[in-house]
Amino acid sequence: MELPNYFIADLPPEAPVTPLLVREACETLRRNRQAYLAARSTPRLIRVLAGLAEDWLNPASPHRRLALERGPQATGFSANTLARGLDAFFRQLSPENLRALLVQDLGHAQRLDEIVPTPVELEGGRAAIARGPELLVQIAAGNVPNPTLMSMVLGLLTHSAQFIKCARGASLLPRLFAHSLYEVEPKLAACLEIAEWAGGDTALETPLFEAADCVTATGSDETLASILQRLPARVRFLGYGHRLSFAYITRELLAGSSASRVLSDTADALCAWNQLGCLSPHVVYVETGGALMPEEFAAALAGELANREQEDPRGPVPAEIAAGIAARRDFYEVRAAYSAETRLWASKGSTAWTVVYEADPLFAVSCLHRFVFVKAAPDLAAALRAADAVRGKVSTVGLASAEDRAASLALELARWGAGRVCPIGRMQEPPLAWRHDGRPALADLIAWTDWEQSV
Amino acid sequence: MNKTIEPAALFERVRHFVREWTNTARGPGVRPAPDEAAFNQLALELFALQYEHSQVLRRLSDARGLTPARVRHWRQIPALPARAFKDFEITILPPGERTLAFHSSGTTGQQPSRHFHSPETLRLYETSLLAWFQEQMLDAGRASDNGPAPAQGLRLLSLVPPAAAATHSSLAHMVETVRRAFPWRAADCCGSVDAGGAWTLDTERAFATLEACQREGQPVALLGTAFGFVHLLDALAQDRRFSLAPGSRVMETGGYKGRSRSLPKAELHAWISNRLGLPPGRVVTEYGMCELSSQAYDALAQPGAAGQNAPRWLRFPPWARIQAISPETGAEAAEGEPGLLRIFDLANAGSSVGLQTEDLVRRHGDGFELLGRALRAEPRGCSLMAA
Repeated sequence: MELPNYFIADLPPEAPVTPLLVREACETLRRNRQAYLAARSTPRLIRVLAGLAEDWLNPASPHRRLALERGPQATGFSANTLARGLDAFFRQLSPENLRALLVQDLGHAQRLDEIVPTPVELEGGRAAIARGPELLVQIAAGNVPNPTLMSMVLGLLTHSAQFIKCARGASLLPRLFAHSLYEVEPKLAACLEIAEWAGGDTALETPLFEAADCVTATGSDETLASILQRLPARVRFLGYGHRLSFAYITRELLAGSSASRVLSDTADALCAWNQLGCLSPHVVYVETGGALMPEEFAAALAGELANREQEDPRGPVPAEIAAGIAARRDFYEVRAAYSAETRLWASKGSTAWTVVYEADPLFAVSCLHRFVFVKAAPDLAAALRAADAVRGKVSTVGLASAEDRAASLALELARWGAGRVCPIGRMQEPPLAWRHDGRPALADLIAWTDWEQSV
Repeated sequence: MNKTIEPAALFERVRHFVREWTNTARGPGVRPAPDEAAFNQLALELFALQYEHSQVLRRLSDARGLTPARVRHWRQIPALPARAFKDFEITILPPGERTLAFHSSGTTGQQPSRHFHSPETLRLYETSLLAWFQEQMLDAGRASDNGPAPAQGLRLLSLVPPAAAATHSSLAHMVETVRRAFPWRAADCCGSVDAGGAWTLDTERAFATLEACQREGQPVALLGTAFGFVHLLDALAQDRRFSLAPGSRVMETGGYKGRSRSLPKAELHAWISNRLGLPPGRVVTEYGMCELSSQAYDALAQPGAAGQNAPRWLRFPPWARIQAISPETGAEAAEGEPGLLRIFDLANAGSSVGLQTEDLVRRHGDGFELLGRALRAEPRGCSLMAA
């Protein structure tokens, strides 16, 4: 199957993206939105989105097949990893979940279509309607495709025309998603544009930012700062900076069948998207005093990762990534030889997986691609003190805890500033309605019109 | 190998190895092939000595089962990761004998690498650096074997602070050693260290010196860091261009470390060559680090020599050997394939002969090209770096 040339990113490499092309695309997007999307009812949009999700979950779907065929070459993820990640995303995209997201973020499922009140507003004689940006520009990060797909879904829900700027070489999955929309609803897909270029290209980005009503961007702090600096003052900006995540395992879960379950969940979290993106654990804190000592847990996790490598290999990585892993391993090998407080387990003859155990709980930043630190912690307070350097930068904490302790640990994590607490096995599978880095992702796109009725 | 090794005598034998090679010049750039057996013998004896006196190296060697009793070839000697010099004191010198320590210039707030020296190890370090500097920066660029020693006709201009101001910089020490050792026509230094410890440059003074050299037709040897050259050229007025006398040469070393904007190496060299009026082949890269005692250079072209577009590989002196290690498999990478640079440096007598860097290279024979550093993958804006 060859993809037809619907989007800028479909054009052959020899056709360069020009400022004129970008300007014209933005004008077309605005016109198309007015004609095809602005008046579309939310329930109809939900039906389209849920239909797309069903299609993507079907193994026979041509877009899915293309994603699994070409994805490994384009993204570096194996077909297995891609299939698992895409399934996790599209399973979430159900009519119920989409409606729940609207109610959660906007107070009412019809908020984007008409002026409606919530029960509380009704009492006060008020009602409101939510308006999405007319032209939403989304600057996507390179690594994991799901956040970009999610951004596209949010943009459709807010009835916005969208220009998705992908990082170099990272447009395949957004493109396939857009093509699958084109197939069922070409008019809606005409409100989408997808292009890729290396970020920071001011010649292309200046006309893009001038046309935008709202810009979202995912990337490093420097990238976000550089975009913000170049935006006209009237344009709203939503920046998603780099975040990192860790896991915390309480001592009660370190025995018997719950220990095996936690081990398997931890391996899931490390293998999902090969630990890339912001939601995978860099460090697994293991409480001391359980049946399994933190060091024993690390050894068992190494065994689990070795098994996963058999069933679900990580796949090749570029030389500079392998070099990063090799350099870290060399360093921890010296530490391990010197002191019993550090141990290293690593795949032989490859960089496929690495587990470093350290008695010292000081947070360490992993080089990812299935490289994890297991660290001992007497309690959560100690772990959080040791993670102070990344406070405010933590997206998700995967928590495996005895039921009676879970609520108080979650509260402790919330007060410390973690954006999300979830079971370890689901770290990379946030629900549709999750508040991205602690912010309501849909509501953040919205401008409101309040109507105060005369009594 | 069971007899106790006398360090001073061994260091002296390594110095002899260096000097013997240096003294057998057969013309500019023409040197005998190094004695492989002698290199191996010295490397093994140094390893045995370092194993005996360095706990870190001993434990790593034991963990790998590569003790002096089992190691028969320099390739088997465990290479300590350069990063271990931050975490541990990698030295065979007892605290009382450490008269000098070179530190890596890293991110502030981080423990730097430390490389300790005694008067004996320092003497070996200086012998090594002078021999290869002379070969690469002075002799290699001579048009013929006749005429005066090249330093006599050259004016040295350093952009690096004087050693007295940058006491822990191996580069400042190197420049100081070079300044003293050769009969330069004149020597100037425009670098200094400010109150905050940052390296600064008196660009006006540098320009005045270059101006005078140009006027008098006096060739210059200009030594500096990459960020030093960026500062220098940034300060040069748009329309100002030097045209340095034939025989002039530039040695550029090191990365940027956040001290200036950073440029790809080829771009920086083209810029230097263009603004200072030097043929591209006269701008040389030096590769060195505080954890090493020998340096690599990509060759200085002879004046007017043809083939200036031929690839230029970095080369260590014959008292060092390199390997490129496949980061994926840990085995030696095939020639021309990317690998992490591993160096065996006899001049690293007081610390560790084997050193594993985080620099990704392609090896070509005994030379290499630098591809970049291993990715750290630290989230940006996050002040915490992994240990």
